[in-house]
Amino acid sequence: MPDNYFDEEEFETRFNGKTLSRILKLTVPHIKWVIGFLLTIAIVAGLDSIGTYLVKMVIDNGILAGDRTAVIKVLIMYGVLIFVQSGSTFLFIYLAGILGERIRYDLRKKMFNHLQALSLNYYSKTPVGWIMARVTSDSERVADLVTWGLVDSTWGLMSIVTSMVFMVAINWKLALIVLALLPVLFIIATYFQRWILASYRAVRKTNSKIVGAFNENITGVKVIKALGREPENLDEFKAITEKMYHSSFRAAWLSALFLPTVQIISALAVAAVVWYGGGQAKIGALTVGGIQAFVSYITFMMWPIQDLARVFAEMQQAIASAERMFSLIDSEPQIQDRPKAIDPGTIKGDIIFDHVTFRYEKDEKPVLNDFSLHVRRGETIALVGPTGGGKSTIINLLCRFYEPESGRIYIGGRDYTTLSLQSIQSRIGVVLQTPHLFSGSITENLRYGRLDASMEEIISATKVIGAYDFIMHFEKGFDTEVGEGGGLLSVGQKQLLSLARAVLANPEVFVMDEATSSVDTLTEALIQKGMQALLDTTTSFIIAHRLSTIKKADRILVIEDGRIAEMGTHTELLRIHGKYHQLYTQQFRSQLETAYNPFQQAATASD
Amino acid sequence: MPPSSHMLDLDLKSTISHHRLAGIWKMMKGFRLRYIGAVTSLGLSALAKTFTFLLLRYFVDTYLIQQDNRIGLPYIALGFVGLAILEGGFTFLSGVLSSQTAEGITRRLRNYLYDHIQHLSFTYHSKTKTGELIERSTSDVDALRRFFSDQATNIGRILMLFIINFVTLLNLNVKLAWVSIIVIPFILAVSIFLFKKVSSAYESYQQQEAILSTTLQENLSGVRVVKAFSRQRYEMEKFEKDNWEKYTRGKKLLIMHSLFWPVSDILCGAQLIAGYLIGAMMAINGEISVGTYLAYSGLVIYIIYPLRNLGRIIVQTSTGLVSYSRVMDIIKEKREPLDQGDYTPQSNLRGDFAFLNVGFEYEPGDQTLADINFSVKPGQVIALLGSTGSGKSTLVHLLPRFYEYTSGKILLDGVELNRYPRKFLRQQIGIVEQEPFLFSRTIRENITYGVGREVSDEEVEQAARAAAIHDVILSFQEGYQTIVGERGVTLSGGQKQRVTIARTLLKNPRILILDDSTSSVDTETEAEIREALWNLMRNRTTFIIAHRIQSVADADLILVMDKGRIIQHGRHADLINQTGVYREIFNIQARIEDELEKELASAG
Repeated sequence: MPDNYFDEEEFETRFNGKTLSRILKLTVPHIKWVIGFLLTIAIVAGLDSIGTYLVKMVIDNGILAGDRTAVIKVLIMYGVLIFVQSGSTFLFIYLAGILGERIRYDLRKKMFNHLQALSLNYYSKTPVGWIMARVTSDSERVADLVTWGLVDSTWGLMSIVTSMVFMVAINWKLALIVLALLPVLFIIATYFQRWILASYRAVRKTNSKIVGAFNENITGVKVIKALGREPENLDEFKAITEKMYHSSFRAAWLSALFLPTVQIISALAVAAVVWYGGGQAKIGALTVGGIQAFVSYITFMMWPIQDLARVFAEMQQAIASAERMFSLIDSEPQIQDRPKAIDPGTIKGDIIFDHVTFRYEKDEKPVLNDFSLHVRRGETIALVGPTGGGKSTIINLLCRFYEPESGRIYIGGRDYTTLSLQSIQSRIGVVLQTPHLFSGSITENLRYGRLDASMEEIISATKVIGAYDFIMHFEKGFDTEVGEGGGLLSVGQKQLLSLARAVLANPEVFVMDEATSSVDTLTEALIQKGMQALLDTTTSFIIAHRLSTIKKADRILVIEDGRIAEMGTHTELLRIHGKYHQLYTQQFRSQLETAYNPFQQAATASD
Repeated sequence: MPPSSHMLDLDLKSTISHHRLAGIWKMMKGFRLRYIGAVTSLGLSALAKTFTFLLLRYFVDTYLIQQDNRIGLPYIALGFVGLAILEGGFTFLSGVLSSQTAEGITRRLRNYLYDHIQHLSFTYHSKTKTGELIERSTSDVDALRRFFSDQATNIGRILMLFIINFVTLLNLNVKLAWVSIIVIPFILAVSIFLFKKVSSAYESYQQQEAILSTTLQENLSGVRVVKAFSRQRYEMEKFEKDNWEKYTRGKKLLIMHSLFWPVSDILCGAQLIAGYLIGAMMAINGEISVGTYLAYSGLVIYIIYPLRNLGRIIVQTSTGLVSYSRVMDIIKEKREPLDQGDYTPQSNLRGDFAFLNVGFEYEPGDQTLADINFSVKPGQVIALLGSTGSGKSTLVHLLPRFYEYTSGKILLDGVELNRYPRKFLRQQIGIVEQEPFLFSRTIRENITYGVGREVSDEEVEQAARAAAIHDVILSFQEGYQTIVGERGVTLSGGQKQRVTIARTLLKNPRILILDDSTSSVDTETEAEIREALWNLMRNRTTFIIAHRIQSVADADLILVMDKGRIIQHGRHADLINQTGVYREIFNIQARIEDELEKELASAG
């Protein structure tokens, strides 16, 4: 994977037949629609050429022959043709459109479902924005290729072929002249479309710079004002808009040049028809209507050519999109159920880390090194220590978000890789430091813990952790919408809800990673009290800064550099005057400062 | 031909108008000739097309039927090529001119908006949502660009095509001409009606797209929660619901779309057939020549078909006008004049302040600050202590004139503050924020940001050393060239703060404002930041917004604030001997140490 793999929004790739056929296979489940719109668009294109021929007949068989009934007959046929064509138009737009929607739907579903199976290591090295772009814009581009791309090329080919047939029928020598011009037109058109696409790509790139510049100018306006940097900023911005002006202008004049060029080349063909055809008409080999029809066919020819060229140019982008999408769909989850993985029904029991070594990236030094730990059923373990020491990694391994590189982890006497992921993860309740809520009501978010929970159970869970009161303060109570990502609530409130969510899940193992860092001391004490029963009965792992939480643990582990530096109860560890003693003194002091600071209290009260 | 600088410097405030279309016309100032040129070229190109059909008529009537050979075949053929070159040439010219118009106007608008936004007042920015402002300056400006590049010229084009071809038809045959436009009102009505439906169906489709994106985004960023509760199936069902809904709305949009073309095809087709029928009969009766009929049957297409696009353009124009209003709302706001003020000292400020009965109201009636009285000598340290909302931040924001005090007087070096131009004041005042903001550029660029002069590498490194960040920077692979932010390295809160300290050191202001919050960083970093701050405060008048009592003990003057007023002031030594809030806070400190002692003893 090249370094700029995630950067490059739109790269092109060489024509790849395998990818193209895989793209085409996407349409197989909906082949009825494909056949339907291909048929109808072919009818539309064919009727176009016939229409032009009918106009010729009005002239030759009607006007020049002085035959009124012939005119009426031909025009009635023309009317029928327009009706049939309109019906076909409706069908092809509708069928192709619906196929497009359906393929987008299929692709999004496929990617989303696959994403659910992928492991955390995929997420840690893939930016969310990159994944979003695959699911949204790439699926769009690929669906466009198999629908409108197919429509345009079928229509284009069909138009050219039927026009050629009629031209040959009217006068084959003249038709040959036109045929000779076609490849020239097509090559020119293809080059143009490529230049035009490339120039629009440059425009989009500059445009995203403009958006970025506005973004910074607005979010950083305070700093800009304080530093008085307005003039320099404007100069920098002017340089970007100047670039934007030039690249947009280039894109515009290239597009503006395309049609006239094709038109002028077509005019050469028209001139040839007049020159040669005029002579033929004199000797009676070509009728007036025939000349008119030729002129029409030629002038019309540039549209199918333009469409074909565009589809051809866009196809390369669509293939690039498809390749990135398929790379997502094809990536294997790092952690999956082993064959014959079982669900033991419960995971209650001792938890053992047996000489576990782990690193996130192959070339890094291990985060955990030969780490061993035996936790008895029902024990509460507190993990303390500096950031990056390995506390969260222990939790990640326990929840089997990752698996050890070497060594084993046993849960309830079984190597946990012999169990199914579902059986482990559905029985471990995890509360993370950055609480994540989903758009929806408070009830919906809490129910995430247990989908079939009754309202009473939900209420009692919020009472356990002391969230009930603040919820009832909202006008709509439990029906309050939390906003995107829980954005309408404070971090403290979000933490309480995610705690209640975990309590509701009724887990057999409980894990809290800085779960209450943003709630005030008083609430913290309430949570302590409410959760004591739960902590007593389940095996629990707690990472916390709050001393009151830690103090009550059965064992405290000081984790440093991926190893256990100190281990024991609160009193034991204080006695040895080591790292825990130092940590505790520091935190005790700052905690009391916050607790006693009257300003702080005033601030909390006013929130 | 590049646009002249004069055209780029138009003050867009002067284009404000009660009527939106008049405002848009004003906004086109400097580009109007180009615009008119673009539309005229389109007209000329249409004229060339019309002449092509007239040439066809000549060719058929005179050359073929009357056998008049005065003008030879090669010349007629050349005529067709010549007309095509004219037609194509004018189309191209129009494309060039209209893109110069649209891109030029947009470029001017963007530059103006950008500068306007950074000159809007603090008050405006604090009450306006960031996302909204970004949205208006990007998407709405783009909608306006599309209006100028697409809709404005296309309306011109369609009208030109209609007029030229209709006049030609009138010249060919009056009766035939009038017969050919019967259906036009219907086409217009149908296309406006259907495109309105399409727009609203499209909007609902877009809304669902936004919902779907949110679901996806929340799932991706909450992946740990999903896995922790093993809710993959539930998530799939939720996504499925939204995904299916988008599919359904897509279908609805599609029906509207796929109805428009056949319905208008039938209308246009009926018109064509009627014209052909009458034309053919007239030709048989000898009222018109065969060539005239031929020219007619070609021309009539260029009258009818462009008009069905007019409906779409009219509907799109109304969205363009909405965007125009949204952009103008920003432009109507008043700028903060940076140069206003009649007193600019030649040398640096000394930094002595006197606040005399200063008060400030954001809005009439709400007293954010009142009765502020104190004075400061150059180089002194003033600490402001108080709860959130007590007015500390507002008070220091008066100094760089982010806000203007509404009563009383502030004297700086003996001269009233509002006589100094804002620009000058802000050069003399350095601010270190509680939540430091870095730009997504290199670290070096962030440090030299706003210094306003060329800075040598030695100077940058010196500042970084004094801010205790030099070693951290060197530990990055790219050193000072490391890009920070989303696209680069993420710095911790403490590191960011030290980069801003280095930036402020380099700026070398006479007066400093420090928002002292070290609560978010651990003890080790706190010590380092403190050292960096001491380097910064040396010889400068410093205002510290303090959150804890430890950071104020050495101040020359402590102001204890509550509800916009100073409730206690003095030095640490004086304040602990007075009854009041300050002593209470101090006492707590002592109690903490006591309790700690007890706690540790109980264990040991």
